[in-house]
Amino acid sequence: MKLFSKLYLPIILSAAFLLNACTKEENQTIDPTAQLVKLTEGYATGAATKVLVFTETSVINTGYTRFYLQLKDSASGADVTQAQVMLMPMMDMGTMKHSAPVENPASEKATDGLFQAASVFIMSSMGGSWTMTFTLKRPESGKQGSLTIPVTVTEPAKATMKSFTAADNGQKYFVALIEPSQPKIGINDFEIGVYRKATMMSFPADSTLNFTIEPEMPTMGHGSPNNVNPTHARLGHFKGKVNFTMTGFWRVHLDALHGTAVADTTQYFDIEF
Amino acid sequence: MKKIILLLGTCTGPLILSAQQSLPANPFTDSTRFIELREVHLQAKAGSSQQRLVNFYRGNASFTLEDIMARLPEISFQRRGPYGMEPSIRGYTGGQINVLIDGMRIYGACTDKMDPPTIYIEPLNLDHVQVQTGQNGFLHGSSIGGSILLKMAEPKHDEEGNLHASVNSGYSSASRGWYESARLHYGTGRWSFLANGTYRKNQDYRAGGGETIPFSAMEKVNYGFSAKYRLNENLSVKADFLGDDGWNIGYPALPMDVGYAAARIGSLSIQSEKPKQGWTNWNAKLYANRVQHYMDDTHRPDVPMHMDMPGLSKTYGAFAEGMRQTGQRHSLRLRADLSSTFLTASMTMYPPNEVPMYMLTWPDHRKMQSGLGAAWTFDADSNWRFQANARVDYMTHRLTSTDGKEEVAVLGYDTDGRNDLLGNLSLSANRKLFTRSAVFMNIAYAERVPTGSELYGFYLFNAQDGYDYIGKADLLRESAIQAETGMKGQIGNVQKGRVSYQLTGFISYLDNYITGIVEPDLSAMTIGANGVKSYQNLPWALQAGGEASLNGELHKQWQAAATLRYTYARDDQGAPLPFIPPFKSMVSLRYQPGRFSAQAEWEAASRQERYAIRAGEDETPGFMLLHLRCGYSFPVSTSRIGLQAGVENVFDTFYHEHLDWGNIPRQGRNVYMQLNLSF
Repeated sequence: MKLFSKLYLPIILSAAFLLNACTKEENQTIDPTAQLVKLTEGYATGAATKVLVFTETSVINTGYTRFYLQLKDSASGADVTQAQVMLMPMMDMGTMKHSAPVENPASEKATDGLFQAASVFIMSSMGGSWTMTFTLKRPESGKQGSLTIPVTVTEPAKATMKSFTAADNGQKYFVALIEPSQPKIGINDFEIGVYRKATMMSFPADSTLNFTIEPEMPTMGHGSPNNVNPTHARLGHFKGKVNFTMTGFWRVHLDALHGTAVADTTQYFDIEF
Repeated sequence: MKKIILLLGTCTGPLILSAQQSLPANPFTDSTRFIELREVHLQAKAGSSQQRLVNFYRGNASFTLEDIMARLPEISFQRRGPYGMEPSIRGYTGGQINVLIDGMRIYGACTDKMDPPTIYIEPLNLDHVQVQTGQNGFLHGSSIGGSILLKMAEPKHDEEGNLHASVNSGYSSASRGWYESARLHYGTGRWSFLANGTYRKNQDYRAGGGETIPFSAMEKVNYGFSAKYRLNENLSVKADFLGDDGWNIGYPALPMDVGYAAARIGSLSIQSEKPKQGWTNWNAKLYANRVQHYMDDTHRPDVPMHMDMPGLSKTYGAFAEGMRQTGQRHSLRLRADLSSTFLTASMTMYPPNEVPMYMLTWPDHRKMQSGLGAAWTFDADSNWRFQANARVDYMTHRLTSTDGKEEVAVLGYDTDGRNDLLGNLSLSANRKLFTRSAVFMNIAYAERVPTGSELYGFYLFNAQDGYDYIGKADLLRESAIQAETGMKGQIGNVQKGRVSYQLTGFISYLDNYITGIVEPDLSAMTIGANGVKSYQNLPWALQAGGEASLNGELHKQWQAAATLRYTYARDDQGAPLPFIPPFKSMVSLRYQPGRFSAQAEWEAASRQERYAIRAGEDETPGFMLLHLRCGYSFPVSTSRIGLQAGVENVFDTFYHEHLDWGNIPRQGRNVYMQLNLSF
């Protein structure tokens, strides 16, 4: 292996570099939305901007959903790479309305021509109708406008969205499973988004809870070794590792604590692959 | 030093004679022990120099190799079922010993060790067995427990162009089992060919007292072809193929059986035919083999969840070995070998209404080995002989698939593989005493690499202790400092009868002894398992014991053989090691006035009170068995007809041996008959 890395690695690297140099032109033409699904498009009236909305899958499930926005000037058709984007999901249940946790784009600058955001749909469209409002502000013109689209949210076979009322402080929390999105045998990234319901319209990210995870195969009654409990990274995202020793139906138990005070021990995510 | 050669054959007279003449002159002849398992008409040869000990444990020709080897004092078997028993030398087993077929490495494809390489050799295609212990144990591959060398029968050149054939048919009552075999040999001055085939089919056998043991049936076919071409007087080339297919082989001590198992073993060799000046008895071989193994639980009742467990082992390799006499006093034997083995095994379970559960039980990995062994013998004077043996091995292990690496990573181990450089060394002295006796003493340092299961095993269920075993990729090598001493020789003379004897005592101090240790924090994968154990190194363990054998012609027409053995073993905490046989003795007496022969065998084992609780063992009661055998053979024109019959376990004793998993009782009274026709 050492010999291999000493002798061949530089050769491979330089070969790769040469190849890369040759194909650079092609790289520029790669469409950043190639792997995405276009959900809809429309105009943010007032901002003079056409909004193309992409997601990773055509079906939007309850839980953590990433949105990718491509913005074009409605007059010139030119790509808009600078904008302040804000999301506002809204569930209309007839008698009442509520919003959901969101993650607005981290920057006013587009990455690869896209503005990435996310929303955590905390229920499916069975209980009412979801809309998503994208509010844009273009700094160069100061123009502001918004686009509202309907969103159909379905309940997946294996829930990726859980909520509980903490036993210690009575607050309601929402936990969305983000990773593993492509579970495999071995060490998997484990990532959850955690949000507290402050009001019906405000669901701030939470970093006060601690979590322990324990994977189990309910059919077999066994777990797996060397899992890493998720710890808070940023914006309510907790990252750890979950280990799957085989394919099949796994249940990852999740216990939430505030320090030593138990908040909840009843939640789990089912993962099948 | 001790080496046993066991000869057997059901072939015709001329073939046997030529086979004996061509037995390799052994560099360790001073203490080579031959155990003769041949037919009646060979007993006239019993006084030859190569047969200083004559053993009469020649059973029923439907014996498997396991039956025959179990009669050697050094060998015992871990038994998970009546077939596929795993050999152990003085309590060493698995990765602690080498089992080589014609010098070739063959690795079982079963994670539960259902398929040791010994199953591919039938008595019909076996020429001889050597068991090398102590100082010679590592010459064919670094090992701390010794080597079992199985030499396959090979075709012989025959200037007269004769065709020889033999057929055997036998029946055993306890397993209602049939045994059929045929062998065909043709040789000319340049070409010679050998073909043989064996078919066995047994039903569930009957234990002592009458109970039928479920899941103990088996069916298999074994077939071999061999062709040899003589290039010149001293040189020949040979091609061998051996195939073995088994179906529905029961393992009553395990939760699963074998649905189908197949082995394909092929080789090309070039070899010197006659001892000559310079390098003698040299041969070089290229080989490849492939073993496929499919476990099956579909015949078992109350299976919580059906599962498939296939395994695959592929090995290719090459070696060259030879011996050189330098002057009157020195001789050197060398062996250089290399091999590459790929192992993989997986398990898929099928829960109702859920996706299948799949995992690698042996993450795909490749083991590469290259080594050099040398034995140098020095005859200082007519009384003293000294010998030094050394072997160096370089071994690498690499995980070969992403899936495999991911799994090993789950256990927290480095997935880059490992490299090991192993050294083995032994020194011995041999002092002649009286006219035909000698005392010997040797010391050795030996080491071994962990096996694939010990490194990478992934939740392998062990039915004996009820734990799932996981490997430890960074296990340390197990090593041993060993000493062996004893006395051997002959009493009597040719006229009145001559008896060979050997007394051996041995002791081994094992460093970093590898064993399963409970991992209380891990949860068992197998439903109903007691927990998880991982392979770990114990600081040390100790193994000691002795063997005695007496063997020869008491009087004309009367021959006897007797063996006695005992092994003691403990770990660093003083607890007994698992799978250590108790006191065991076998005594046989044969009366052979002419064409008729009669033989009585007495087999006795003491109670084993030193058992390893943590390995799931319990106390094993002692037992005594009596077997009676007789044979009659007579010529009919150019053919010879042989009839054999006997009763094994005459008193229908209900018993099991200490190394038998699950305390499954062994076969009860068994009446067998066998007809042999050869021309």
